[in-house]
Amino acid sequence: MQHFVIVGILVIITTVLTYLGLDVAGLAKQQHPVAASLQSAPIDQLWHWEMIVISFLFALIVVPMMYSLVVFRQKKGEMKDGEHMEGNTTLEVAWTVIPLFIVVIFAYLGGWSLGEVNRVDPQALVINVRGAQFAWTFEYPEYGIVSNELHLPVDRQVVLKMTSSDVIHSFWVPEFRLKQDVVPGRITEYRVTPTLIGDYKVRCAELCGTSHAYMENPIIVNTQADYDAWIIEQTEIAQQLAQTPEGQGRLLAVRNGCLGCHSLDGTPGTGPTWFNLFGKQENLDDGTAILVDEAYLAESILNPNAKIVAGFTSPSVMPAFVFTDEEIANIIAYIQTLK
Amino acid sequence: MKKFFTSALFKGLVWQVIGFFIGASLVTGIRALMGLSTTDTFFFTEPAWVLGSFIGAISFLVGCGVTDDWIKWARGIETHDEHEEHWHGWEKFINVSFDHKVIGIQYTLIALALLAIGGTFALIFRTELAASQLQFLTTEFQLFGQNGPQLYNTLMSLHGIVMIISILLGISGIINYAVPLLIGAADMSFPRLNAFSYWIAVPAAVTLISSLFLGGFDTGWTGYPPLSSRAPVGMQMFFMGVFIAGWSSILGALNVVVTVIRMRAKGMAAMKMPIFVWASLATSIIAMTATQFIGLAFQLVMFQRLFGMGFFDPSKGGNPVLFQHLFWFYSHPAVYVFILPGLGVISELLPVFVRKPLYGYRWIAMSSIGIALVGFVVWAHHMFTSGMNEYLRVPFMYSTLLVSVPTGVKFFSWVATMWKGKISTPTPMLFVLGAIIVFLMGGLSGPPHATVSTDLHLHDTYFVVGHFHDTIFGGFVFPFFAAIYYWFPKATGRRMSEFWGKVHFWLMTPSFFVLTFGMMYVGLLGMRRRIADYDPALGLDTAHLVLTIGAFLIALSVLIFFINFFYSIKNGEKAEGNIWESRSPEWQVPSPMSLHNYPTPIEVVGEPYDYGLKDAPYTRFAPASKGKGKH
Amino acid sequence: MSHSQNKSAALMQGVIIFIYLTALTILEYFVAVAFDAVPLLIVVAIAKAALVLYYFMHIYKLNETDSDTNHDSYAYKTITNRLGLWLFLLSDSFVFAGLLVMRSNLLGLTRPELNQVLGLGVTAVLLISSFFMNRGELLMAHGDVKGFMRNTVITFILGLGFLLGVVLLEWRIAAHEGLTADFGNPVTGPVGGVFYMMTGMHAFHVFTGLIFLAVVWNNARKGLYTAEQHWGVEAAAVYWHFVDLVWIFFYPALYLIGTAVSAH
Ligand code: HEA
Ligand code: HEA
Ligand code: HEC
Ligand code: CUA
Ligand SMILES: [Cu+2]
Repeated sequence: MQHFVIVGILVIITTVLTYLGLDVAGLAKQQHPVAASLQSAPIDQLWHWEMIVISFLFALIVVPMMYSLVVFRQKKGEMKDGEHMEGNTTLEVAWTVIPLFIVVIFAYLGGWSLGEVNRVDPQALVINVRGAQFAWTFEYPEYGIVSNELHLPVDRQVVLKMTSSDVIHSFWVPEFRLKQDVVPGRITEYRVTPTLIGDYKVRCAELCGTSHAYMENPIIVNTQADYDAWIIEQTEIAQQLAQTPEGQGRLLAVRNGCLGCHSLDGTPGTGPTWFNLFGKQENLDDGTAILVDEAYLAESILNPNAKIVAGFTSPSVMPAFVFTDEEIANIIAYIQTLK
Repeated sequence: MKKFFTSALFKGLVWQVIGFFIGASLVTGIRALMGLSTTDTFFFTEPAWVLGSFIGAISFLVGCGVTDDWIKWARGIETHDEHEEHWHGWEKFINVSFDHKVIGIQYTLIALALLAIGGTFALIFRTELAASQLQFLTTEFQLFGQNGPQLYNTLMSLHGIVMIISILLGISGIINYAVPLLIGAADMSFPRLNAFSYWIAVPAAVTLISSLFLGGFDTGWTGYPPLSSRAPVGMQMFFMGVFIAGWSSILGALNVVVTVIRMRAKGMAAMKMPIFVWASLATSIIAMTATQFIGLAFQLVMFQRLFGMGFFDPSKGGNPVLFQHLFWFYSHPAVYVFILPGLGVISELLPVFVRKPLYGYRWIAMSSIGIALVGFVVWAHHMFTSGMNEYLRVPFMYSTLLVSVPTGVKFFSWVATMWKGKISTPTPMLFVLGAIIVFLMGGLSGPPHATVSTDLHLHDTYFVVGHFHDTIFGGFVFPFFAAIYYWFPKATGRRMSEFWGKVHFWLMTPSFFVLTFGMMYVGLLGMRRRIADYDPALGLDTAHLVLTIGAFLIALSVLIFFINFFYSIKNGEKAEGNIWESRSPEWQVPSPMSLHNYPTPIEVVGEPYDYGLKDAPYTRFAPASKGKGKH
Repeated sequence: MSHSQNKSAALMQGVIIFIYLTALTILEYFVAVAFDAVPLLIVVAIAKAALVLYYFMHIYKLNETDSDTNHDSYAYKTITNRLGLWLFLLSDSFVFAGLLVMRSNLLGLTRPELNQVLGLGVTAVLLISSFFMNRGELLMAHGDVKGFMRNTVITFILGLGFLLGVVLLEWRIAAHEGLTADFGNPVTGPVGGVFYMMTGMHAFHVFTGLIFLAVVWNNARKGLYTAEQHWGVEAAAVYWHFVDLVWIFFYPALYLIGTAVSAH
């Protein structure tokens, strides 16, 4: 009996210590990264409950084990057998049924939490998202804006309708606690209500190729007023751009995710930079050099494998795109402006 | 050396190369006739590599000689069932043997080799991860047609799959060695099939690792299309290697099931089998059936790449998520394949070192079967974020959480077994204890993934990575080491050094806690899986550095194990008796075991774990008169 | 062990089962043509499968208890081998189950546009081959080696006919109609891939079955089998019926269920 009392006390102490240990590490209540969405509350709540139960279960197993190990140890030179106990049906039923009970409770809580997370606001703001190796593109269908930054008003539910142009990506904002895969050929939804103004990042969470680690785009959660201002500004820019060929080229480049691989300022990326590209002598991987002109650019875009730039792998990681002649001309016009 | 060049292993490898060239040239020739391209980045075209590697594997098998008897049968020639040994010493292990003990050791050795290879890959990419930014796997870095980040992906993916194959072979090793001994059989039911299952794993491993040199594959061990339908040729070698290894698993498991049903000693009713046999049975049932699904899934992607079939290609109406269903229908049950034998080892060894009966034998036996069966209906918990039908997530949450119940039964029974035992802690017992605690940590980190909403945060982060290193180490690696320390004297007649065994344990266990706890920690703070470089703004540099140091300490401890292992084969302290005072039948005869195991058939007369009862043996040798010619 | 009365009754049973199977197949075809009732088709297929499992593959033999407990006796080993074979078939059926899952996920209630006459034709050929296989095995069990060999040859020829019918005729015709391996589009789904994959995987099994038949035929010729000891024959027969069993499900899945989509 005495053994049971001691073990019982030790289990309680260990449970508390384990929980406190997790809390000090910042894991028990999941304080990091900051919770920035309405949906994170039920998730963090469930997590917190789970950590309490886990601390207890951990103690419940480890303490009696360690206790037996220390107290019932075979003394030096002793060669005795333990007591002959084969089992006890009541006990065995108990430790089957009680965990079953806990499990059902947690499944129920899990269902509750998921229900909270999935709660639909019919007024939600709709934004289209396209994932492509290795960048995200956001389109605001009401305003015709296309952007590589996701601007969101605070405290309003948005629903992101997401699809991919190539492989599977996953839309994850750690501060929102939510993650949803983005699958080619179908549209998946991501509902979130940001609650904390700030700058975050969407980080692609599904391995999608060489630069998967860098598939991150900024997310800016702002007040409704600042958000509206941004929308107005962008709408104007979009309208202006639509008027010139190079402007339309820029829109095409953003919309198709070209800028995920090609930088505009000379920094190296997955693909060669577009800065000062037009008119230069490009070295190819077969050792020759070629003048970058309209024909070369058009071929590079429509059939990336035709000529591979030196230092890049063959076959090209760049997907083959389909554009009309006019669109190609616009993109080339845009590239020409990048000096 | 000469002996090596005449061994089955060497012959097989030579034939594999020859077979490869025959297959590859065949395809190249046909392509030339059809006016298609005949060379590509890695000299041969992709179809040539695929057919070549397939024919290579078959040539290996024919060349090494495991199929000789079958070919004779097909031609109507009788063969001898008595398989005398032609080989001595180490040669046994590189030649075809039908003795289950030799095959068990062969499996163990190849598993250890793959553990070292996979572990070395881990050390390489762990070094890259020690700090944010790219240090040596940079974009300028080029090796085997891959730049740095691509090579990272290849190493990481290969680490995953090589380790998994290593586990599958490792459990086959223990099962093959121990099960016939534990049930008192002279061998497995189908000795030739058994040898075949082992030898097929060798070309599979070669094929798998060749992937590294063929552009690698950057999809992770899960190989999800569409990414895997775009990856370099190495991808095909990955699929092919796993496909072939799958056959090893299927045929081996089938053999185990039949053996357990048909070859038990007289009087060994189901509830009198050693508990490890139950675990092996449960594992084998899964391996025998579910494995076909991963084989099929991989075949479909291979064909998609070769013939443009559109199974998983949305532009042809295919469904990428279907692949995930097919894949996880195997790969989730597979994780229970990994651990059930390990948990069986824990249950088997615990009573020996606690000197007490296994508490609740029936419940433990049934929990293995329970885990195996429930394990079949939880696969979609890997796909909570995949975009599959939303309503499916709740039933899968329930079924997943349900697995905790039979697993819990095991834990509680182990604790009750230890309670008031007379516990001693030689090396095997240390690893058993380590296994229990580590697996507990892993198991308890399972339910947070299972409750869907929390998984939306955790999925594809290092929290998952921490979870499965814990479960795999606790459920397989620690018990595997325990089993090796425990049965090593049985196999060799010598024991491994206790001192170095303890050093191994005390170095590995704390480092391992640091490694996996650290993984869970960084995961929660936003560290994604499968990235070579992470955002310095996350502030995880120090944590990652500690993880890397932990990884190297684990490797050091494993290195100590390797040295101890190979040194002790020849120079270990002699141990031919029942050094663990076990009741198990294999310890009632001197070590090492003779060719057909028991000199006379054994008979079960008691309960397996009646420690603490005087004069209640488990087995005895059948009286000579009754011993009908067993061999 | 065997006397002739027993033998003719067994042969008669084979004929009756074959008639049932034929009737069910014809029923199946007209059900599909007339009212497109998927559940009914599934029921018919299961009924056919049950008949084959019980009367042709003799699944009940798994229940046999050992007459000889000596582990080295032929009888003991046969029971062990039988268990091994059936477990292998269980494992293999997961491949085909996986293919059916794939088919229903990707194609749903559509199917490839195929030549119905040819489909029914090869199905009939395979069914008849199973009949002769069963007959051959029965004769072997009664010690009639010659009869066994005769029936095996017929089975082999029919099996080869099936294989060529699918691979040479059906594949040719389908490809000619535009159903190529890479055919598929977001509306119809990847019908081409599914069709070639399913028939191909099945054809591969038929092919291995043919090799198996040739091997046992050759060994029978050498006089290796007797009425009491012919495990090889039983194995080949069970495997052959298994291949037929798979087709019982594949035939409706490819030819009968759903509306046909053409590649044009
Ligand atoms: C060896 C292998 C092993 C084992 C045993 C387990 C066991 C479990 N796993 Fe794990 N898992 C993996 C290997 C394993 N897993 C791997 C390799 C992956 C990643 C694959 C990849 O993506 O690469 C993975 C991923 C994974 C996921 C997907 C995560 C994601 O990608 O989003 C989930 C989700 O539910 C999950 C859940 C569980 C659960 C609930 C258990 C349960 O079986 C655990 C049961 C045990 C206990 C709970 C502890 C003891 C029980 C008690 C003390 C009783 C009382 C307990 C309660 C009442 C809760 N695992
Ligand atoms: C058996 C399974 C197993 C084992 C044992 C390990 C062991 C280790 N793993 Fe694991 N790991 C996986 C299975 C396993 N892993 C899987 C399935 C994945 C997922 C892959 C994916 O995402 O697709 C993964 C992923 C994975 C990641 C995530 C990678 C990423 O997402 O980017 C990391 C990161 O730290 C990691 C680290 C380690 C470390 C440090 C060890 C250490 O324990 C290794 C210790 C080292 C050794 C054991 C080698 C010792 C040997 C020697 C030093 C040489 C001696 C030589 C001779 C005698 C010749 N692993
Ligand atoms: C997945 C990454 C990726 C995406 C997305 C991508 N590219 Fe590229 N691109 C590359 C790489 C890598 C190269 C260099 C290899 C080669 O020549 O094909 C390249 C080369 C080019 C070149 C030739 C550049 C030179 O220096 O000669 C042009 C022009 C180009 N891309 C245009 C585009 C346009 C337009 C788009 C979008 C519609 C686009 N790319 C999208 C990766 C990408
Ligand atoms: Cu996109 Cu990873
Ligand atoms: Cu799982």
